[in-house]
Amino acid sequence: MVFFLQMVFAGLSVGAVYALIALGLNLTFWTTRVLNFGQGSVLMIGAMLTAVLIAYGVNLLLAVLIALVAAGLVLVVTEMVAIRPLLKASGSMGWVVSTLGVGVFLQGLASLVFGTQAVAFPDVLFSSSATLQIFGAWVSVQYIAVFVISVVIVGLMELFLRRSTWGYGVRAVAHDRELASLMGIPVRKVVLLSFVVSGVLAGVAGILTSQISGTVDPGFGLHLLILAFVAAVVGGMGSAVGALIAGLGLGVLEKLIAGYYSPAAAQTVAFVLLVVVLAVRPQGLLGKKETVKV
Amino acid sequence: MLELRDISVSYGAIDAVECVDLSAAPGTITALIGANGAGKSSLLKAVSGLVKPKVGRILLDGEDIGALQPHERARLGIAHALEGRRLFHQHTVEENLVTAWHFRHPSGDFKRAVDQVYANFPILAERRRLKAGTLSGGQQQMLILSMATLHEPRLVLLDEPSLGLAPIIVSQIYEFIRGYCAEGGRTVVLSEQMASLALKVADQGYVLRQGEVVQSGDSAQLRGDGVAGAYLG
Ligand SMILES: Nc1ncnc2c1ncn2[C@@H]1O[C@H](COP(=O)(O)OP(=O)(O)O)[C@@H](O)[C@H]1O
Ligand SMILES: [Mg+2]
Repeated sequence: MVFFLQMVFAGLSVGAVYALIALGLNLTFWTTRVLNFGQGSVLMIGAMLTAVLIAYGVNLLLAVLIALVAAGLVLVVTEMVAIRPLLKASGSMGWVVSTLGVGVFLQGLASLVFGTQAVAFPDVLFSSSATLQIFGAWVSVQYIAVFVISVVIVGLMELFLRRSTWGYGVRAVAHDRELASLMGIPVRKVVLLSFVVSGVLAGVAGILTSQISGTVDPGFGLHLLILAFVAAVVGGMGSAVGALIAGLGLGVLEKLIAGYYSPAAAQTVAFVLLVVVLAVRPQGLLGKKETVKV
Repeated sequence: MLELRDISVSYGAIDAVECVDLSAAPGTITALIGANGAGKSSLLKAVSGLVKPKVGRILLDGEDIGALQPHERARLGIAHALEGRRLFHQHTVEENLVTAWHFRHPSGDFKRAVDQVYANFPILAERRRLKAGTLSGGQQQMLILSMATLHEPRLVLLDEPSLGLAPIIVSQIYEFIRGYCAEGGRTVVLSEQMASLALKVADQGYVLRQGEVVQSGDSAQLRGDGVAGAYLG
């Protein structure tokens, strides 16, 4: 029972991070109908910069801030060089290759600058040895912190989307770009905003995962991106809370399978889930049916 | 006052609008009449900025707005209700109104504007919490009109506002449009396939065929010329 609980808690923690990444993927998908396959490298940049800056003696908060700003900037540049130019030719799927290309480029750049070795990630949130006992199971305080931070951010994002003026702008652009522009919404700014926010979410997710895993290397991020992609699809493209529930479910499932059976099986199950959901409910379990206007 | 000078619109090799001159005065309704594919929507989109004319100038109260983005034109007081019941279907009626309000930097009071909408169309007040996509066609058109006129723009473009609606709803909607236009000298340009219908509500009309203006004049004159009898659709 204790082992089971430990797996569940670990799963909730990583699952909340999947939800964060999924939400970032969703945001830019809504505003551009493009899936950023380079998002994994943005996670890595956020975590790597934080680790390296702290190693050079930069103040912790400042290091995190710089890393997040960099992550936001990386996505804005991605949009400008790898997405927008390719959307001009309508119906083009070139962005699949170009966003993947940006990801590979960033990974290569990080290897050049920081080396290919894994870098130890410092204790940003509490100490890795701090634990709490919940229902008899010892849980790392870091796991709890990661969970809480992720859930709070997803909650804030939901509020932003449902209550703020710019949230209305994002949803309007997602629904119908032309109509949004006629309502006075500066579509271009909304798209860029979605990329900045998506980048910051990815940066936060990168830092939080590295906090749990303890190291970061240039190749980091791909496995996370795949699971987050599953969470985004299962949760439905159109729902922050949907992504959260899907992310948590996926995280718990992954850890249980890894704990009781084998870590290798976890990914397979995630993919099976993805295929089943896409077949049964293409709009996701919790998403709304999209009527995409052309 | 809207003035179009020598406007042409093309999509690649397709010429949708060719050398159209038009002027629409404050306090009047202008009808663009033409069959499907005549170029009505393209002309309206050129005015709101959704398409860029190949050549020509667009003047709003004497100011050339040709270089402005659609959202900038919206803020200047140009509203455009698209054809085909385009609204935010997954958002509630009220969310649609909020979206239509906030980004145009209106000076007035949102609460008052929305109360006015609900006074004009009480059915929308009843349905305010429902998704816009669940409304009937007539109710959607009422919402679209309300979104277009919410911030009292000086120029309102309406693309086939009556298409697919029951006659009783059509007269209700036309009555609203006429009332809006008369108040404070606003300019309305609407497109219709049914000439008889359009000429009943409009003060003047332009008949389009394959992108060109083939006839124009005030409504009485066009009716006299037999335009009203022709169903151009
Ligand atoms: N986005 C577009 N791409 C290519 N051709 C278009 C597009 N929109 C309209 N057209 C063409 O332009 C012409 C005018 O269309 P439109 O302005 O929609 O006319 P109307 O509104 O009077 O039906 C038609 O031949 C139509 O096929
Ligand atoms: Mg049309």
